[in-house]
Amino acid sequence: MSEQANTAVAKDPRRRRRAIDDDQTPLGATLRRLMEYIFYRRARFALVVTLLFASVLLSALLPYLMGRAIDIIGGGGEAAELTQVALSIAGAAVLYWVCAWQSNRNIQYVAQDALFRLRTELFDHIQSLSLNFYDRQPLGEIMSRATNDIDTIDSFFSRGLNQLLTSVTTIVVIVAVMFMLNGTLAIIALLTIPLMIGVALMMGRVAGPAFAQLQQNLADANGYMEETLAGNKTILAYGQQRRSGDALEDLSVGLRNTGAKALIASLSVSPLVGVAQNVQLALIALVGSIQAIEGVFGFGTVVTFITYSNQLQVPVQQLGQIYNTILQAAAGAARVFAVLDEQSTVRDAPDAKELTLNGGHVVFDNVDFSYVKGRKILRNNTFEALPGQKIGLCGPTGAGKSTIMNILTRYYDVDSGTVSIDGQNIAGLRQASLRQQIGAVLQEAFLFSDTVMNNLKYARAGATDAECIAAAQEANAHEFIMQLPHGYDTLLSERGANLSQGQRQMLTIARAMVANPKLLILDEATSNVDTRTEKLIQQGLQRLMAGKTSFVIAHRLSTIRDSQRILAIKDGVILEQGTHEELMANKGLYYDLYMTQFRVRPEAAI
Amino acid sequence: MYENFRRLLVIYRGARSPFVISQVFLVVSVLLNLAIVALNGTLVNEGVQQGNIQVVIGTAIWMIGLTLVQTVFALGNTFFAVLFAEGTANFLRTSTYRKVQMLSFGNLDRFRTSDLLVRLTSDINNVKLAVLYAVMLLFQAPFMIVAAVLMAIVLLPSMLWLMVVIMAIVSLVLVLLLRGVQQMFLDRQNALDGVNNVLQEALAGVRVVKAFVRERFEMERFASTTSTWFDAALRPAYRIALFVPSLQALVYIGTAALYYFGGQTVLAGTTNLGEIVVFSNVLSMVVVPMAMLAFIVPFLESGEASVGRVFEVLDEQPEIVEPEDAKPIDVSTLRGRIVFENAAFGYRDGTGEVAKLALQGISLTIEPGQTVGFLGATGSGKSTLVNLIPRFYDVVEGRVMIDGVDVRAIPRRQFDQIVGVALQEAVLFSGTVRGNVLFGRPDLDDDVMVAAAHAADAASFIERIPEQYDAPVARRGTNFSGGQRQRLSIARALAAHPPIVILDDSTSALDMATEARVQAAVEELLASSTKLYVAQRISTVLTADQIVLLDAGRQVAVGNHTELLENSPLYREIYESQLGKIEEQSL
Repeated sequence: MSEQANTAVAKDPRRRRRAIDDDQTPLGATLRRLMEYIFYRRARFALVVTLLFASVLLSALLPYLMGRAIDIIGGGGEAAELTQVALSIAGAAVLYWVCAWQSNRNIQYVAQDALFRLRTELFDHIQSLSLNFYDRQPLGEIMSRATNDIDTIDSFFSRGLNQLLTSVTTIVVIVAVMFMLNGTLAIIALLTIPLMIGVALMMGRVAGPAFAQLQQNLADANGYMEETLAGNKTILAYGQQRRSGDALEDLSVGLRNTGAKALIASLSVSPLVGVAQNVQLALIALVGSIQAIEGVFGFGTVVTFITYSNQLQVPVQQLGQIYNTILQAAAGAARVFAVLDEQSTVRDAPDAKELTLNGGHVVFDNVDFSYVKGRKILRNNTFEALPGQKIGLCGPTGAGKSTIMNILTRYYDVDSGTVSIDGQNIAGLRQASLRQQIGAVLQEAFLFSDTVMNNLKYARAGATDAECIAAAQEANAHEFIMQLPHGYDTLLSERGANLSQGQRQMLTIARAMVANPKLLILDEATSNVDTRTEKLIQQGLQRLMAGKTSFVIAHRLSTIRDSQRILAIKDGVILEQGTHEELMANKGLYYDLYMTQFRVRPEAAI
Repeated sequence: MYENFRRLLVIYRGARSPFVISQVFLVVSVLLNLAIVALNGTLVNEGVQQGNIQVVIGTAIWMIGLTLVQTVFALGNTFFAVLFAEGTANFLRTSTYRKVQMLSFGNLDRFRTSDLLVRLTSDINNVKLAVLYAVMLLFQAPFMIVAAVLMAIVLLPSMLWLMVVIMAIVSLVLVLLLRGVQQMFLDRQNALDGVNNVLQEALAGVRVVKAFVRERFEMERFASTTSTWFDAALRPAYRIALFVPSLQALVYIGTAALYYFGGQTVLAGTTNLGEIVVFSNVLSMVVVPMAMLAFIVPFLESGEASVGRVFEVLDEQPEIVEPEDAKPIDVSTLRGRIVFENAAFGYRDGTGEVAKLALQGISLTIEPGQTVGFLGATGSGKSTLVNLIPRFYDVVEGRVMIDGVDVRAIPRRQFDQIVGVALQEAVLFSGTVRGNVLFGRPDLDDDVMVAAAHAADAASFIERIPEQYDAPVARRGTNFSGGQRQRLSIARALAAHPPIVILDDSTSALDMATEARVQAAVEELLASSTKLYVAQRISTVLTADQIVLLDAGRQVAVGNHTELLENSPLYREIYESQLGKIEEQSL
């Protein structure tokens, strides 16, 4: 990501601001903050710990009872005694089952519940951030934090945490019980456990970086394939199939090698810890058997200790893996928390008022604006839109046309100067009230993967079906909607891909009509539609604009010819204002833009 | 059963030795494991019970020694199994990817990018896991079960019934626990996809969300899909929570039964303690491989399905095949005269049939050095028409000729020298600006590259970046704007000075002044090349020598701007709709 981010920063001045602040919070603090989500269900978590402790105690009691049984059998005891011990084992086993199951089950609840809250909190927070955040952060980066980083936390909450609690409790309880039963054998265990833990952690330290490397290689190879498969036709057109195949083979071989390294490292943990554990086991068997022969205790105690030794293997073995899970979760959590700590740049004043629209008289007075301090995007912008006027904005790409509209809707706050609507300075208004009353038809006709009807209703909570259908009729969309397989109930696929571009535009116009705003912003798309559709769209737009103050950002000048006022903008400065005829007579920027459309070949002009 | 896997094994002979070696290691390791368990009996019966310390010490040393050897073999098995699995994945990945590279446009239209990517990533990963588990466990588990049962028979035939009962109960419990669990995991994955879709949409559509002040609505929508996911995630988690405790409890209860029933036989003097101790080890030994088997079956099934999907790609035949009698033509003397003779074309569906013609009755003659514009509504067939020239698709009727040679008689590899194309979607690749401009011809030098960049009006923004032509290009060129990507892709098409240049709607994101500059510069740089522009905007083609107006797959008018304005009502309609009424244009 760093390479991509850097070039993005180099290119786009807006992104030159800091990316999300990935501050260097200490690991402990991040983990504590993460665990707050678990501790939210205090009672449930206490129940989990209690049940877990009980199940570990029972699993320590069971080998003891088995040892007793062996001693009874080996020592030629009473049959009645044997029956009693066998029944105790069965009873303890059932109790163990209940405790272990319920602790597993409840920790899953606590974990998923914590994730639920983290996910929704993150989403809500991202939703509430200003557009400025989205400008700085590529979409993929935000997505990655909300998915991949949350996934690492998911594996910690739903697996790692349970393993950690179980492992630590088991090791502590078993060692304690060993000391209660026999000091010598316990010391043997205690001396060899660090060896086992050492092996596990060592392998964890090999596997951890190997898996990190594998993730990196996977991301590289997948990224390469995603890119080249999407651009496969270009590769074909330039005859580069072999080169791209060779490049993928290199990546794939790298993937095989790091994959093998990571897998072997992680799969070797169990046999290697097993060696250490088997040494422990043999020593316990040896010393225990000698003590049994000497009559210190029955052979049952040896069996008990051997079982304890076996019970230690899995918890110890998992420590390395748990360690890696925690590190990954902490890294993911740090990135998630960095987003949660982002502050909105545009905020409502405490005494913010509702916008009272009264005709729609818009005044920009000497507005300056910069996305980055010291790099002015807009300079001394002064203009006025009288109620009901149509204002056209034109100028080369990057002149600042969209920026002016973003300021009118207060996605950004001005550096200096004022913007007022019907005499009210927008800096003192509630953002929601402002945007609810200013309608926007944006360049990209974005639709949600939902039904046509729900897409229309999106514009205004509480809009009725009848209102939406009426709006669709006004926008000339009704006819094609009725031809869709399920009419207004047709499900649109992602980003409205099953509609033509022209149809999507008509839907977005209908959607704006449902909102019924009193002020309008139209960011006209470079349209790829046939002439009939074009006419329908233009007609829809005319109806939408009727009687409203509207701002039209034009890419084709024919759409703003009839504006009461045209602003010709270049490099953030309004160079010319006036009607089409006035600006044509002026022979300035507008005239040049207009004439480019009818360009004639240089040789033909001669 | 597992037909695709068997086919995979036949094709993939490359790594047979790691497979065989891993299995040899496996068998030795399992046998050693059994020997260690048997030594427990020696320890009890001949050592502890007899009070023989020599035997105890000797047995303990043997146990440690065998453990070390067994570990070596177990590690060996893992090592070679992993090599085999990773090798299989690498083999499938590279051969499938190379296969995709060999396909034609028509094949690529049928496979979506995301679909191919899934086959190359998660499907191959599924195969890898299935192979790994199969190699490590599929033979090991039954082998261990059989060995354990045999030991039980030899050791303590009177208690065999207990073993059978335990195995039956464990099987039953495994079946009950695992039934439907795969579906639960699928449901959870679907629920998670649902959550991510809402997330993706709310982020991609953030401007719409904010414009209509629907943040609250999105939050509720997200919370509701997330709570669906919460339920879906808990279901399999609750099931899995039962797994280890249940099997563990069964082993404990089995042991209790063994002590109860077996203990009585020892007390009665028919067996001895050591046999009971070993038997209890064997009892717990048999449960693990049974659980393993239960666990790997779903992996094998999804692996089998995944191999099948990968084979679908490998079995795909390229639509465009190299002509058998293809004679290389001399590109250096090629003039770029293009003739369409009553050409017709239709896209093939999944069965390879042409259901509907996308182009018909196309007859055109384009003279060398001409500039030709193709105009028409979306779906009128403009792009399709120009795609026939470099043989991205083959005509179904008529023919297309370059300098009098049918394109189907020209070797495929020569087309990238004959035709420079900027496709509709301006695709850049990660790397550098230089790598992208010289994509087709890395051998060309910097002067050529800079000239192409200037002609495409890309030099102005490239030279503003500190690294200039060495500036990094991010994946899919996301660090450049749409207009910049288009200009780089035009530069790429011009770089090799091909006799024919096709710019397929490549200037749509440029403002008109820039577009005019690019066109003038292209005329100057490639004066003798044939230049074809596909356009939506009429201003793109106003100055062309010939304008071909298409409607619904047919050519409705051909001529220059003045001729068409006079003769073609459709052309006039488009003109007025885009540039305003002609009578209003008087200044």
